[in-house]
Amino acid sequence: MSTEAIPAEKPKRNYNALFGLTLLALLVLLWIILSVATPSFASANNISNLLRQGSMIAILAVGQTFVIITGGIDLSVGAVVGFATVIVAMLINAGVPLFLAILITLLVGVAIGMFHGFGIVKMGLPPFIITLATLTSLRGIGLLMTNGNSISINNDAFQLFSRSSFLGVPNLFWMVILVGIPAYIFLHHSRWGRYLFSVGSNAEASRLSGVNVQRTIYMAYTLSGLCAAFVGVLLASRIGIGNPTQAEGWELQAIASSVIGGTSLFGAVGSVHGPLLGAFILATINNGANLLNVNAFWQRIITGALIIVIVYFDGLRRRGK
Amino acid sequence: MTSTAQELHPAPTLEPGRTILELKGLEKRYPGTHALKPVDLAFKAGEIHAIVGENGAGKSTLIKLLTGVMPRTSGEVMWEGQPAALATPHEAMALGINAVHQEVVLCRHLTVAANMFLGEEDSRFGILQQRAMVRQAQKIIDDLGFDLPAHVVLGDLTIGQQQLIAAARATVRGTKFLIFDEPTAYLTRKEADQLFTLIRRLKGEGVTIIYISHRMEEVFELADRVSVLRDGTLVGTRNISETNDAELVKMMINRSIEQVYHKEHFTPGAVIVEARNLSGKGFENVSMSVRAGEIVGLYGLIGAGRSEFVTTLYGRHRKSAGQILWEGKEVQVNSEHDAIRLGMALAPESRRDQGLCLNLPVSLNLNLPIYKRISNNLLISNAQEKTEADRQIADLRIKTPTRNALASSLSGGNQQKIVIGKWLAHGAKLFIFDEPTVGVDVGTKAEIYRLFGALLSKGAGIILISSYLPEVYELADTLHVFRRGKLVATHGFRTADHEEILTQALAEKQEKLGGQT
Repeated sequence: MSTEAIPAEKPKRNYNALFGLTLLALLVLLWIILSVATPSFASANNISNLLRQGSMIAILAVGQTFVIITGGIDLSVGAVVGFATVIVAMLINAGVPLFLAILITLLVGVAIGMFHGFGIVKMGLPPFIITLATLTSLRGIGLLMTNGNSISINNDAFQLFSRSSFLGVPNLFWMVILVGIPAYIFLHHSRWGRYLFSVGSNAEASRLSGVNVQRTIYMAYTLSGLCAAFVGVLLASRIGIGNPTQAEGWELQAIASSVIGGTSLFGAVGSVHGPLLGAFILATINNGANLLNVNAFWQRIITGALIIVIVYFDGLRRRGK
Repeated sequence: MTSTAQELHPAPTLEPGRTILELKGLEKRYPGTHALKPVDLAFKAGEIHAIVGENGAGKSTLIKLLTGVMPRTSGEVMWEGQPAALATPHEAMALGINAVHQEVVLCRHLTVAANMFLGEEDSRFGILQQRAMVRQAQKIIDDLGFDLPAHVVLGDLTIGQQQLIAAARATVRGTKFLIFDEPTAYLTRKEADQLFTLIRRLKGEGVTIIYISHRMEEVFELADRVSVLRDGTLVGTRNISETNDAELVKMMINRSIEQVYHKEHFTPGAVIVEARNLSGKGFENVSMSVRAGEIVGLYGLIGAGRSEFVTTLYGRHRKSAGQILWEGKEVQVNSEHDAIRLGMALAPESRRDQGLCLNLPVSLNLNLPIYKRISNNLLISNAQEKTEADRQIADLRIKTPTRNALASSLSGGNQQKIVIGKWLAHGAKLFIFDEPTVGVDVGTKAEIYRLFGALLSKGAGIILISSYLPEVYELADTLHVFRRGKLVATHGFRTADHEEILTQALAEKQEKLGGQT
């Protein structure tokens, strides 16, 4: 007994929250720098714009994070967003009541997520493969449905929503809060959230402890699909059209936001606030680069470099503990 | 023949000229355990030296030190009279020390030939000479008398055949010193014979062989000398012609029964679970029952079907025949979920692979089976989550800085307490412990055994699986012996002696004793 090694390790209490704070500090720092460097950054107009830009990726990143925590990946979310714009546009134009049109679109997202779960759990396909397959085929299905054209949405109220604000905050950002709070409670305060972590950490141990691993995986992908479809509705409202080729590459931005937010691609590490901050850090960089007249090509390079730097330092800090 | 010359020296001290490898006070400590106490041992060139001992006796530690997989804590290794650091596997291989492991450590997706030459590929101007390598590999395999093709993918062969390839591979690399770690565990009799032919042939070529095995008959068939390890100590070395398996078994297990085993006897109550003629993957026709207040021990070698039996009982695998009765009623256990609902709990064999979510907090690991109970439909009660975790940490004396520390930061013994502890709050009736004390130090062992008593006093039943005979011997009220997927013998508490049980577990009874030169 006496030789039992007690790890001389600091308790990792509130580790996630701490990391969240460092990210928040980074975000605030970026804002201060940009406010000083450019006259237009701190304007109400630009801030609203920034919040709008970041909101949709933020919601995608939350759904993506659920999947990544289980040790998977969802490459389909960008395609689901594009596909959802088509569905909701067609439904609205067909005269379906707005509420019902949105609900059906969300259910389509759920169905796509369930299909991913089916492919992974029942067919034994790697998440990368099944969601990659959906990524390409959903775009194809959308193009077939629209004949490759954009569908203009004939509903002003629908489009007005994304442009309006409530209490001075853009509606789109309210949507982040609408998704973020339940997501936070789900991930950190419900048993299903715990199961996402445990499955991502050790599926076999979870199974032997009575966790329904298959259901947990279904749930993660379903939520990701649901988030993506919801973003599709928001995007349709913002651009006023349904177009299956929209949101190209958003899956990668969502994954990047999630990873910047401290999610581990090996699973079992992640939070809700991290990816949200990650998404707004990315949006801030793009927004700031625009204001500073940085070449759009350079923006991409800077974003890439920043992902490496942030994740590298996060890894360093983890190992250093 | 060199072997005849070696018979001249019964004493373990050897003439220096003949010694190829000498261990001087070789020692290995891990945090919390003393895996290998200072060992002095000399290996003679061209001998087959068997090493026997129970699980945890230090055999694998010794191999890891000799092959440079792990650094030693102290002591010296002399290779052909010169000190050798053996700090890396590369260094060991450069000296000519190789090992064939129980589990095949080759690339299953590459061809046999590619595996044979892995790391030493034949290439001309950077282009692999694939056909030449296949031809060469085939020649080596044919020479050894293995009837195997060199061009097929390794994974397409049986485990036994892969083992033969691994052995063949070790022979073509200028090996002077070859360690076999339980090589026959997965081999058929025919494959084992082929391997023995290979081993004898290597010996004829002057290669020194260390042969580690549980199987006494193999030791007597092959070895020139045999060393016995027990609890990290070298108990002794014998010439094979001067010993017999009774003596070896005695050396292996003759131990002072430490103050470790706290056995409390309870009057067995009603039958909790009963298996009737249960068959499944890896075992067949097993009938047994567990009563309240009873420890049922399952003893046998690794791969004897004990773990397969309990995982089937637990719903992890499908049964192929037979019945499971829970409290007298036949039940279908189709998943772990069903088993847990009935009231079973399993602390699995492999902590890392099956027992723990290592990169998650202690608290989450402890509460994993009971989240349903400590949450309403939506939210987890944080207070309850903390209380339950803290209670298990206190009750089991789990050494952890806080309940939020990651499971990976705890020592093996404390991790094992989590694996067991998570079921205590769940209130199961049948606890299945699969090798609960592997890699756990003596103090923690005692605590785990004390815990068994506490569970029994609450009317639970326990199935205890162990490859460590004293453990099941001292603790089990009923002891079942498994061999090759069958339940071959049943004993009461201490109604049979160690030798009898070991013989029953060790398969084919050893007929010929003693000398063969």
